[in-house]
Amino acid sequence: MLKTIQQVIGLGICSAIYLGLAVDAYALDAELPEDPLNSVMWENMASRFFPGEVVIDQRVIVQGPLDAENQMQVPITVDATQLDDVKQIVAVADLNPIPHILTLHPTRAQAFIGFRVKLEQATPIRVGVQTGDGVWHVNGVTVNAAGGGCTAPALAHGLNDWYKTLGQARAITRRESEELARLSVRLQHPMDTGLAPGIPVFYMNQIEVKSPAGDVLANIEMFEPISENPTLTLKPLVSDNVDELLVYARDTEANEFNYSLPVPAITDN
Amino acid sequence: MTSSLLEGCSRRQVLQLLAGSAACACCGSVHANKLAYDLAATEIASGTWAVHGSTEHFTLENGGNIVNVAFIEVPDGVVVVDTGPSRRYGEALLQLIEKTVPGKPVLRVYNTHHHPDHFLGNQVFKENIVAAPQQIIDNILSEGDGFADNMYRLVGDWMRGTASIAPTVALQDSTEEVGGRKFSLFYLSGHTSSDLVIRDDETGVVFSGDLAFYNRAPTTPHADINIWQESLQSIAVLDRELILPGHGLQDNTGESLEQTSDYLNWLHTSMQDATGLGLTMNEAMELPLPARFRSLDVVETEYKRSVVHMYLALEDELMPLLEPK
Repeated sequence: MLKTIQQVIGLGICSAIYLGLAVDAYALDAELPEDPLNSVMWENMASRFFPGEVVIDQRVIVQGPLDAENQMQVPITVDATQLDDVKQIVAVADLNPIPHILTLHPTRAQAFIGFRVKLEQATPIRVGVQTGDGVWHVNGVTVNAAGGGCTAPALAHGLNDWYKTLGQARAITRRESEELARLSVRLQHPMDTGLAPGIPVFYMNQIEVKSPAGDVLANIEMFEPISENPTLTLKPLVSDNVDELLVYARDTEANEFNYSLPVPAITDN
Repeated sequence: MTSSLLEGCSRRQVLQLLAGSAACACCGSVHANKLAYDLAATEIASGTWAVHGSTEHFTLENGGNIVNVAFIEVPDGVVVVDTGPSRRYGEALLQLIEKTVPGKPVLRVYNTHHHPDHFLGNQVFKENIVAAPQQIIDNILSEGDGFADNMYRLVGDWMRGTASIAPTVALQDSTEEVGGRKFSLFYLSGHTSSDLVIRDDETGVVFSGDLAFYNRAPTTPHADINIWQESLQSIAVLDRELILPGHGLQDNTGESLEQTSDYLNWLHTSMQDATGLGLTMNEAMELPLPARFRSLDVVETEYKRSVVHMYLALEDELMPLLEPK
């Protein structure tokens, strides 16, 4: 069922009053589909992160556990490869104190990403995939969690010398086909949200995957909810003569890190 | 908020609620009645009773009663192995012991490890008889309160009045005589950092704690799989008549050890493979389970939990370190 215009306007006014937010113009002329996850934050999330036309689309596959076994490292995998012409993928957690998890621009990569997120409480994880026509294709899952993920200090702060391994990286790269690589990379970083007492905000906020020629294959903006030691899985498109991928990462203190990941030739199996 | 809570309640229930005569008159049948564990003792060997829990997860319906607890009649009293998930469970257990072995005092309580379903009934027993290896005591002191909090979240009012109480007796000898009966104590680990295995030398019953699961998928939140496998080998060669696993029915053939070992071996190997392929945890969770494990209780959910437990350490082990450029 679609919200009536009056309801949408009513909610818009309410959110303007209570949250001090501007009412987006779209709320007046476009109808927002009903939220399959039945979240109180739906209108707010949609207007903040998916401005414009929104459709609920099962072709956006969002995998997440029903229960967070570890609320500091909740695994989420997004597969939007059934959609053509994907411009960006935006992931948000409705009920996190900082909802925005990441934005992926899969310039020359499949519309696919795996990541891990800190959850402050049970929440919908919502993913909007914007295609070239501007439409947001949205889907998501609800994850139950014990809580405290965003306001707890990173495990790194239990160590005296965490800064010595800052930016250290581990990665596995392989070819899924002649034209497609799979890249799993883990970057050592505390990813401080600024919400744990006495620990200022400090997180890795940008990652770029490039070809040896310097072409950007995928660009990721990351935000505070990404788990400590961000672990990302991507599927860059590579031609068969490419034997390495370059990864560039930067954090909010402007520390920069560069890595070269070998891409093995396709194996016989 | 209040009005949504009351939706679906009958007028009588609402009135009851407003009168304060019931805290939650309409939240479901389990809460409509006074919560009570329906504990039953099964004599698995001479003078040895198992109190079997279900092989489910913690739920609001089972109140955390998913664990095997045992008690043994010895010449001068009773020995208890593990105390269940809550104070209320501990009280029910004490009543069951008194009904089964009337007039005999509990002389010794062992905790096999520090997981909440095994020790949160401790507080109903005299403090100076509750015993475990020092590492289990330390584990309870550091993690017990967190476990208790989480149990309140998972099973709710069943936990009322429950507090995390660590054993006061630190075991270190390889045998112990209690009330005229000799027990052998084996200081193993792998399911957690300290797992106590107890053998009643008279009956040959081995209380394996959660080193053995039987027809129920093993849990791995604190597991070290390689050490766990070594511990299973150690139990396999013990002189024994019967094993009471931490979860599942008693086992007189040792099949529980083989099943646990087989599952852990498969789990470890397939997690290594998944990590090596760069699969995401979610993709690993969707891998098919081998047919021989599909009949294990709660295997689908335990397997998914184990992916989360094992992946980070396996990434440390299997993902090559990159040199910064």
